[in-house]
Amino acid sequence: MAVSKKILLVDDNPLVLEMMGRALAKEGFNCLKANSANEAMTILEQQRPDIILSDYHMPDVDGFAFRQNLIAVPAYKDIPFMFLTSEDDNELMLKGINLEAVDYILKDTPLPVVVTKLNNFLSTVREQHERTLKELSVAAMALNLHSVPQKLPVIKGFEADFWHKPFQNYPGGDFIDFITIDARYTFIILGDVMGKKWGAWYFSFGFLSYIRAAVRICIAEGNFSTKSILQKINAVVYHDPVVNDVLSSLSLVMVDTQAASITYSGAGDLPLLYYNALNDELKQIGSSGMLLGLMPDGDFDEQTIALNTGDRLFIFTDGIIDFEDTDGKKTDYNTFTRAITPYLKQPFATFKKSDFLQDKIVAHIDDCSLIHLQKTIQ
Amino acid sequence: MILVTNIYNEALIAAIEVKEANLTVSDGFKDEMTALIDKGNKYIVVNFEGVIYVDSSFLGALVSSLKYAIANQTEIVVAGLNKDVSGLFQLIRLDKAFKIYPSVIEAAERKS
Repeated sequence: MAVSKKILLVDDNPLVLEMMGRALAKEGFNCLKANSANEAMTILEQQRPDIILSDYHMPDVDGFAFRQNLIAVPAYKDIPFMFLTSEDDNELMLKGINLEAVDYILKDTPLPVVVTKLNNFLSTVREQHERTLKELSVAAMALNLHSVPQKLPVIKGFEADFWHKPFQNYPGGDFIDFITIDARYTFIILGDVMGKKWGAWYFSFGFLSYIRAAVRICIAEGNFSTKSILQKINAVVYHDPVVNDVLSSLSLVMVDTQAASITYSGAGDLPLLYYNALNDELKQIGSSGMLLGLMPDGDFDEQTIALNTGDRLFIFTDGIIDFEDTDGKKTDYNTFTRAITPYLKQPFATFKKSDFLQDKIVAHIDDCSLIHLQKTIQ
Repeated sequence: MILVTNIYNEALIAAIEVKEANLTVSDGFKDEMTALIDKGNKYIVVNFEGVIYVDSSFLGALVSSLKYAIANQTEIVVAGLNKDVSGLFQLIRLDKAFKIYPSVIEAAERKS
C-alpha cells in the first residue's frame, strides 16, 4: 500500500513556506500551507494531514501555543507534529518535547535529509498502524468464534448447516446461533446488526445475549411462541440506551422435532425461502415484524410450517442478495432464488462450493450468512 | 457533505449526493440528519433519486435518524427510491416505518 503523504506546513515566512513546499511536492508530498497557526486551524477543519511541520517563532500564536491548541482538540491531538526551527537550542527543544512533538528539524538541514526524515517517520507510523490492525483482527477473529457457532447442532430428523463470510475478513454484524433446548426443540437464530466491521461486531454480542436470554426465559416459563420471544427482545432493545441506537434484523426459527414443523418469526429480516420437495416448489416465507428496537411495538407475527422429508428452509442476510455488476452495486432477492434453484435436489455441501457462494468471498460487498435446514426422515 | 438541502413547500428536502449509500458515508449522513433535526425542521424528505445502492450500514443510519426524529416530533419521509432500493425497503418492512413517495414533489406536497 502506498504511504499517504499529506503534510501541513506552518510558517509565517512565505519564502520558507514556498521553498519547503516546492521541495516536498517534488518528493511526492501533498503540501498544505498555512502562514499562521490560525490559518492552519482553518485548514484542519477541512482536511486531516498525516503530519504537521510548524515553525517555533510566529507572531500572534507561536509554535508552542499552536501545539497546545492542537493537543486540546481530540481530533487533532494525535496528528504527528514536528517543529521546524532555526535555533539549535536545547531549552526550546525540551519545551517542545514536553508538548509531545515527535521531532525537530533545523531550517538549515539539507532538504534531502528533511525528506528522508519525514518519509521514515511516516513509514513507521503506517507500519505500526498495520501491525495494530492485524493484531486486533487476530484477537477479534478468535473471540468472534462466539458470534457464529463452533459446531452444528444435532436435531433428530433434521440436518442443519450454515455458510458464513465476514466482510473483508473483518468480524462483522451478522450473528448465528443454534440453541438446543431438549431433544424436541431447537432454536435457530440469524441476526444482522446494521453496520460493518468492528462497530457492528461489538454490538452483535449485545443482541445475541438478549436473544439467548429471551429464548431461555420464555421456554422456562413454558412459552414456546417465537412471536412472544421477539416482542420481549424488542421491548428490551428499544429501551436499552446501550443498543437502542443500533438496529438489528433477526430471523427466529423454532424447530419442533416431534411435530416435524418449524415456527418462524422475523424482525426486519429477509423473507426465508421454503422448498417443498413433494411439489418441487420454492416459495418465500415473509414475516411482518420490523427491525429490533425500531418501534415500541414491532408488529411481529408467527407462522408454523409442517416439514416433510426433503423439505428445506433457507435463512439468510442481505449480503447474500447484494452483488456488483458493471453498473455498480445492486440488491436483488431473486439472484439468490435463481442461484439456489439448480441445487435444490443436491446436498447443501454442494451449494457451498457453488460459484455463487465462492464469488461472494471474492466480491466482499457485505457480511454474508446463510443457514440451511432440511427435513431428513419421516 | 452527503446531503444537499433546500426548502420546498415548507418541507426540507435533503438530497443524498452519493450513488452508493454505504458504510463510508453512513456516519456522516446520520450526523447531518441529526443536525437538520436539531435545527428544528419538522418535515424532512430524504431524496434517494441519485442513489443506486444502499447497504445495511446506511439503512441503520437512516432508521437511527428516524428514531431521533420521532423523539423530536419530526417526520422523515423518503422519496425517489429506485426499483432495487424500493424492493429492499419492502422486503425488510421499512415501508412500515417510513412513508415512501414516488417523487420529491409529491413528498413535499404530502400527496398520499
